[in-house]
Amino acid sequence: MIDVLNLTKQYAGRTAVNNISFHVEPGEIVGFLGPNGAGKSTTMRILSGYMPATSGQVQVAGFDVFHQSISVRQSVGYMPEMAPLYTDMKVKEYLRFRAELKGLSGLAMRRRVGEVMELTGVTDMRKRLIGNLSKGYRQRVALADALVHKPKLLILDEPTNGLDPVQIRHVRDLLRSLKTKHTVLLSTHILHEVEQTCDRVIMIHQGRLRANDTPQNLTHQMRSTTLLHLEIDGQGNLAEKLAALPGVRKTTEEKVIVHPWRRFSLRVEPDQDVRDAVMDLAMKQKWRIREMHRQLPTLEDVFVELSMNAGTPTDIPTHVL
Amino acid sequence: MRIFWILLKKELHAFFVSPVAYVVLALVMVLNGFAFRAALSVLESAPSEGSIVTWTFHAMWFWLSYFFIFPLLTMRLFAEEKKMGTLETLFTAPVRAWQVVGSKYLASVIVYCVLWLPSLFNFKFSQWISAGQVEVPSGAMQGAFLILVVMGMFNLAVGCFASSLTANQIVAAILSFTLSLMHFLVGIFVMVVGRKLSDSIVDVVNYFAATEHIRIFTAGLIDSRALVYYLSMSLLFLSFTHHVVEFRRWRP
Repeated sequence: MIDVLNLTKQYAGRTAVNNISFHVEPGEIVGFLGPNGAGKSTTMRILSGYMPATSGQVQVAGFDVFHQSISVRQSVGYMPEMAPLYTDMKVKEYLRFRAELKGLSGLAMRRRVGEVMELTGVTDMRKRLIGNLSKGYRQRVALADALVHKPKLLILDEPTNGLDPVQIRHVRDLLRSLKTKHTVLLSTHILHEVEQTCDRVIMIHQGRLRANDTPQNLTHQMRSTTLLHLEIDGQGNLAEKLAALPGVRKTTEEKVIVHPWRRFSLRVEPDQDVRDAVMDLAMKQKWRIREMHRQLPTLEDVFVELSMNAGTPTDIPTHVL
Repeated sequence: MRIFWILLKKELHAFFVSPVAYVVLALVMVLNGFAFRAALSVLESAPSEGSIVTWTFHAMWFWLSYFFIFPLLTMRLFAEEKKMGTLETLFTAPVRAWQVVGSKYLASVIVYCVLWLPSLFNFKFSQWISAGQVEVPSGAMQGAFLILVVMGMFNLAVGCFASSLTANQIVAAILSFTLSLMHFLVGIFVMVVGRKLSDSIVDVVNYFAATEHIRIFTAGLIDSRALVYYLSMSLLFLSFTHHVVEFRRWRP
């Protein structure tokens, strides 16, 4: 659905996107991540045919974004960042205008506008001026606009930005339900959402591609350590004994909660599970354990690590790239 | 072409739901009223060569309204969309740049034509209440409104161009006003210092002197040179506008 090959975009003296390549298969939901200013919006604008690339080839739905721009725009539903809309139009009026621009007409257009208003939950607002809507509703009108012509590909630039938790859940369910008919490329900062919604994650930083894999693989293969939280009732220097276990990198005693319970956190090497060893140790030492909780690295940890690491892509282990 | 009409409908809608069209209409009606009254008092005081049409469009009031209209009508066309970011939504729909430029321009021309309807009504009304005593020559009427439309088309194209250059409506308005005024002043300048210049220069400048065109057309003379001049200049500025809008797509 999307084929990007060696895409580079330079603004006057500044490289926004630096030689990135990726593919998106039909039917995939792909999360497009990166810190602010990483080049996400630029890439999405190029994909939607709004601006040209400095170099590289970009094909969307089999069309070249520069030479076959109109065909690309017919097959893409694009929702820009900040959801710019005509504030002097009413919701239904605006969506009908957009639907007509995108080639729908007559009864089919009216029916489809009704459908997308229902889907995005703006039916009650259909007679309100867009200028008087809250941010969340504007966001949803923009989403309805992106959906209105049943595009093969949806490009959504921060669709959940400014929504409340209930609305975010609603958008997430909506995206999932679209999966069978549409391919979705969305950028967001809510990583929890990406973990739950996306089949694959593409992460860019400073204009370079840093990761392209499933969220599960990314978190699983992370270099960062897992955390193990423990609450133990025992005497003596527990921290030292715990630290001596193979695979434990570091032990810290957090605090005494209620005497005699003491709380520890263990940093454990990746791909190691020390829970059995901890249990064995506790049995041997006659400690009582009332809590043991393993905290796996999240996509957020991956994101932070990849964003903090400002080195070249060669610094990143090959399995992440 | 279908897309063009959809866009045109939307642009006209934008004009008439915003107060801009009504404010400009009110302004033009007031100034036209003054211009018309000035013309009547000229005819009242002494017998004169020109008809009421001639004197109306020679009044200072007419020129005052003339310069206000174009910046007010065109300043928001592109500048507002740039500022709001809606140009991005617009150009990620399957629309071509000429459709956008053409529809915005045509909408402004239509609104501009509507602005002159009250003035047309003034003439008809005076003819009616005076039972034909106030002579309104039909040739002068046709000439006057024809030149008004083509001069408007030219100045609106200039305004479109000015609006496409910036995201700030005020800047667009000042730019459009300045360009229109400079075009007008060339004619005035020659009229004032004409005697000191050679005849050939005066002749050349008269080709694009707005005051000269108004003088000829309100006398009922339809001069194709002026029509060709204004229409081709409109096309030139529209193609400039098109280039500015398309530039986004070509900028490497």
